[in-house]
Amino acid sequence: MLIDSIVLSQVIDSNRWQWWRHIIVFLMSCSCLHLVQAQTIIINPSVHLTCIDQNTARLLFTMRIQQWPNQEHLPVRVFVLADDNPVHREFTKTVLEIFPYQLRHVWDRQLFSGTGQVPITLTSEQEMIMSIAKTPGAIGYVSILPKNSNVYTLRLE
Amino acid sequence: MSVFYQKILMFTHFVWNKLRQPAIGMMTTYLLLLAEVTSAAESLSDQLQVHGFISQAVLHTTENQWLGDSAHTSFAFTEIGVNSSLRLTPRLLFSGQILSRRAGELSNGTPTIDFALADFNLVSSTHNQVGIRAGRFKNPLGLYNETRDVPFTRSGIFLPQVIYFDKVRNLALSSDGLLFYNDFYLENGNISFSLGGGWPLVDTNVENAYLFRNFSGQLQADNPGWLASFWYSNQSERFKLGLSAMTVDMQFNPNVNALPFTTPGAGHVDLLYLVASVQYNTEQWSFTAEYSREPIEWRQFGQLFPDYKANAEGYYLQTTYRFHPQWEWLLRYEEGFANRADRHGNDLEQISHGFIKKEMGFSKIFSTGLRWNINSQWMLRAEYQLHNGCFILSPRENPDFSQLERNWSLFTLQIGFRF
Repeated sequence: MLIDSIVLSQVIDSNRWQWWRHIIVFLMSCSCLHLVQAQTIIINPSVHLTCIDQNTARLLFTMRIQQWPNQEHLPVRVFVLADDNPVHREFTKTVLEIFPYQLRHVWDRQLFSGTGQVPITLTSEQEMIMSIAKTPGAIGYVSILPKNSNVYTLRLE
Repeated sequence: MSVFYQKILMFTHFVWNKLRQPAIGMMTTYLLLLAEVTSAAESLSDQLQVHGFISQAVLHTTENQWLGDSAHTSFAFTEIGVNSSLRLTPRLLFSGQILSRRAGELSNGTPTIDFALADFNLVSSTHNQVGIRAGRFKNPLGLYNETRDVPFTRSGIFLPQVIYFDKVRNLALSSDGLLFYNDFYLENGNISFSLGGGWPLVDTNVENAYLFRNFSGQLQADNPGWLASFWYSNQSERFKLGLSAMTVDMQFNPNVNALPFTTPGAGHVDLLYLVASVQYNTEQWSFTAEYSREPIEWRQFGQLFPDYKANAEGYYLQTTYRFHPQWEWLLRYEEGFANRADRHGNDLEQISHGFIKKEMGFSKIFSTGLRWNINSQWMLRAEYQLHNGCFILSPRENPDFSQLERNWSLFTLQIGFRF
């Protein structure tokens, strides 16, 4: 009887552990999903690229390259959200791995010394998708891309 | 819309030509051309950017004059700038900025061309960038010179005066000439070189600072200066390292009618300006240090102003703490010397027979300030500075050297707007 109850309790314990494991795996996958989905680089379909490395993404968003790497005659058009927008903050920190204030420093230096231009600031993700869909050579980002958007996603290598 | 207009114009053109009225036909041809230019301009409007800023400060000093009658509270520090840039093609950028800067006796706010340049990009890839800038460009000196008059880009209301002298700002500010640049984008970071030559903008402030007063005559650049800079930053822009240098050769041309006993002769002032910079950034903290050296040589000014060599020096340590997304705290200590071989200014006083006080040979400044970014366009700042020495003060604002006080402090408030 005693042995039986011990075995039973072990079974329950192992079941409970299984249950916890499911929860943990679920939560982990959720957080992974969150990381992957949270920030997506989007481009206008005129850009013939499917993936870029992080350094190229930084060069594009710091406005240091003006033409698309594989398309000499297609100018890069960069769209961003305001500095204090949570999506912008998350994008610069997790995808570009630059702090938002540093990105602002880089842009300001170029703008106020006349050595470059600054990205176009938009007010919402909706506007971002619309602007990128209609601007050849455009690049931007969204937290989650709705289905049937007329933009392509750009994977980060 | 413009295609529609073009069609209407083409139709009118056709009709009028048929009616054989050549004069009006020519006019419609002209209008047709105009429509084409307008449609090109419509696509250009995406490439045209206009931005600007405006700031106003109120200052109070316990002693001495700094940007106006500061001992009795001064409002004479206003900065207004409007810039525009046009990227005609990915390889060609035109840009310009008009700046109005009112700074006490040093600057009266007359609008000036801050920069006006064409940037020709020769090579552009994800590995490197090569190009030439022609026109008036901002000298890439130190971390701040290129954007020194934009309040939003400065670490405080004032930049460290021992390196970014406002009393002679024009000398290091910009050049009219050519600048060649080469940036390398490597796996371990970005390296940027630039080399150029051009004429500096020498003004009355420069004359006051280097000849200690505005004599009858003019101090002018007699040769174009050289510029060179090297910058390294890692990919995430966390770590930055830089070396930059420029040369300036000036000559004094006394007025023909100037009295020989009160005006120096046609002498030269030659100088080299060197800045070494390092910066480390985290999400909340930025640590910055810069060191500058400025060997200066005065020669052939005649007996009134004997040949002299000095090696000016300046350095500072600065930290900024972003304790809230909208708030930033500044702490800085800086020291600067008119001549590093004479850090107490004793020789300066002796050589000038007491005309120049020794306090004018050095400045040791402690600064602390708060910055509040109200929103993405408005900023409010407060700053307190404790000074020991008068090296950074302009003789133009403090003409009576006997009135200079060695220990003084400065309190400033500034509001800024950008678009």
